[in-house]
Amino acid sequence: MAEPLIQVRNLKMYFPVGTSLFAKRRQLKAVDDVSFDLFPGETFGLVGESGCGKTTVGRTLVRLYKPTDGQILYRGEDIAPLDEKAVMPYRRRMQMIFQDPYASLNPRMTVSSIIGEPMRLQGAVQDEITARVAELVEQVGLKKDHLNRYPHEFSGGQRQRIGIARALAMRPEFIVCDEPISALDVSIQAQVINMLEELQDSLGITYLFVSHDLSMVRHISHRVGVMYLGHMVELASAQELYSNMQHPYTQALMSAVPIADPDLAEQSNRIVLQGDVPQPIDPPAGCPFASRCRHCMKACTEKNPEMREVAPGHWVACHLMN
Amino acid sequence: MKLLEVNNLNTSFSIGVGTVQAVRGISFHVDQGESVGIVGESGSGKSVTMLSVMGLLPNYAAITADSIRFDGREMTQLSPRELRAMHGSEIGMIFQDPMTSLNPLFTVESQLTEPLRIHRNMRKAQARARALELLRQVEIPNPEARLKQYPHELSGGLRQRVMIAIAVACGPKMVIADEPTTALDVTIQAQILDLLNHLKQTTQTSIIMITHDLGVIASMCSRILVMYGGTICEEGTAREIFYAPKHPYTWGLLNSIPRINGDPEEKLIPIKGTPPDMLMPPKGCPFAPRCRYCMPVCREYMPPRTVLSDTHAVSCHLMHPKAPKVAREV
Repeated sequence: MAEPLIQVRNLKMYFPVGTSLFAKRRQLKAVDDVSFDLFPGETFGLVGESGCGKTTVGRTLVRLYKPTDGQILYRGEDIAPLDEKAVMPYRRRMQMIFQDPYASLNPRMTVSSIIGEPMRLQGAVQDEITARVAELVEQVGLKKDHLNRYPHEFSGGQRQRIGIARALAMRPEFIVCDEPISALDVSIQAQVINMLEELQDSLGITYLFVSHDLSMVRHISHRVGVMYLGHMVELASAQELYSNMQHPYTQALMSAVPIADPDLAEQSNRIVLQGDVPQPIDPPAGCPFASRCRHCMKACTEKNPEMREVAPGHWVACHLMN
Repeated sequence: MKLLEVNNLNTSFSIGVGTVQAVRGISFHVDQGESVGIVGESGSGKSVTMLSVMGLLPNYAAITADSIRFDGREMTQLSPRELRAMHGSEIGMIFQDPMTSLNPLFTVESQLTEPLRIHRNMRKAQARARALELLRQVEIPNPEARLKQYPHELSGGLRQRVMIAIAVACGPKMVIADEPTTALDVTIQAQILDLLNHLKQTTQTSIIMITHDLGVIASMCSRILVMYGGTICEEGTAREIFYAPKHPYTWGLLNSIPRINGDPEEKLIPIKGTPPDMLMPPKGCPFAPRCRYCMPVCREYMPPRTVLSDTHAVSCHLMHPKAPKVAREV
């Protein structure tokens, strides 16, 4: 297999909560000891429910956050401890597409200045920017006469295209797509997904695709990681994960997806989980899923299970695998 | 038996720059004990349709209808006071976002007992006992403690359960659920859908489910209305819509979602373009500008409703005997 583009090792991202002078500082463990590799040209899907830390992983990888602990090896260089200035050269290789196309575009900037801004920040000259912007709008299926308009004149799908053009501006190797389609209508989602796939085929970009839409993740991803409460609980190729899931949480998550087919929906056996996801603030020891797991054993409440390889490329963190 | 029957409903909003024609001449019915799904994209008029029926739209909305009959009564003839008496007692509503539809300043108990005290004239103790029973019915653990809490102390799933408890408090004949699970995580969504299915079976309440999620529709509804551009473009049983759809828009919707059990290598077939601007809707079929089978007639005239079976009807010019025969590409 090719050399990994990014190796994430024991990544931890804690946020302090509560600012009482006397009480012990509490920590929200958004990402707690997550490791995985990203290979060039692949799409890695990251799924989980709200609050599981999937977005934080994405943001930490492009260094929008400085991780609490752990390594992010970008082509072998650890970018986790770098300061703002030192991380700048990496910024042109890593970009991000955001969830909300309404909030992520500045309403007072024209489309051409939005798309050109990353290049301006990296010190490109105006002629170069104008030429590149013209090329980019074509690439994402917008028209040249859109360039002098403002974001409010566009629909959600078109705005997401503007966001994608901006992400492509610096010819990045790696793009974090943070729920890029969840704010869009069904018929528009497929347009954006097909475009992302075509861009990957022609430019060889690596994607980290963060989403809660399990059917879409299966469609677009080569490999998929499942997160729960800041931990990676299962990781496998998309095909393997969706046909041979091992972790009880993955099984419950997959069975909860409503199937758009009345006959299959009737036959399906849903595993309905009891209760809600616990708080990631000072979580209890042991397996994060223990409180909702059907198979919870004594060991589960005492020790956090380690990731082990149950089949080639298929990793599961569960005491049942012992 | 028909519980709700709507004939030729039109709703428009006058705003500064013109008139938004949100709903344009739609007719449908809901039978007793039936669950009907209304599916469509944002701006297709699915929420406005139900808000018009309920009379919950602001004053600048112009609503006209030949008739809206609910349980034998003509709703267009009712005074606002009579309509209010109906809301919450005979028709319950569940909204999308349980955080904004519950009042943050009142406890669960006061919000849950309010409809009981107003519509059923219950005394405080009696209403409280019924509220406890309702919370148990929607499977909320530890209901005594929950009654005293405020909405911000509950998780999204619990809040939506409280919303459902309020909606069914007075034993309504019909519950309208407007995107009830869109704001929830998929495992919580599964809990809520199970609960709604259970309530439907035990109480024989009719449910109208408004959603954009075809998966939710498939697991909940026996009959489906597909809306586009303020009109119903296709209606039929769940099996007719999913296995024998006839309208190119329905084809487009089904082709643009990946299936959890399908072939992942399969390319999605998106619908080109964007939904119409309802300030200036197209003259003919609203879907014509995005339709790959568009004919000249489609741009000029609204297609008539073609009835294919007792339950299945389509509004598309392709149904005309002289139109070219086209099939859905899969």
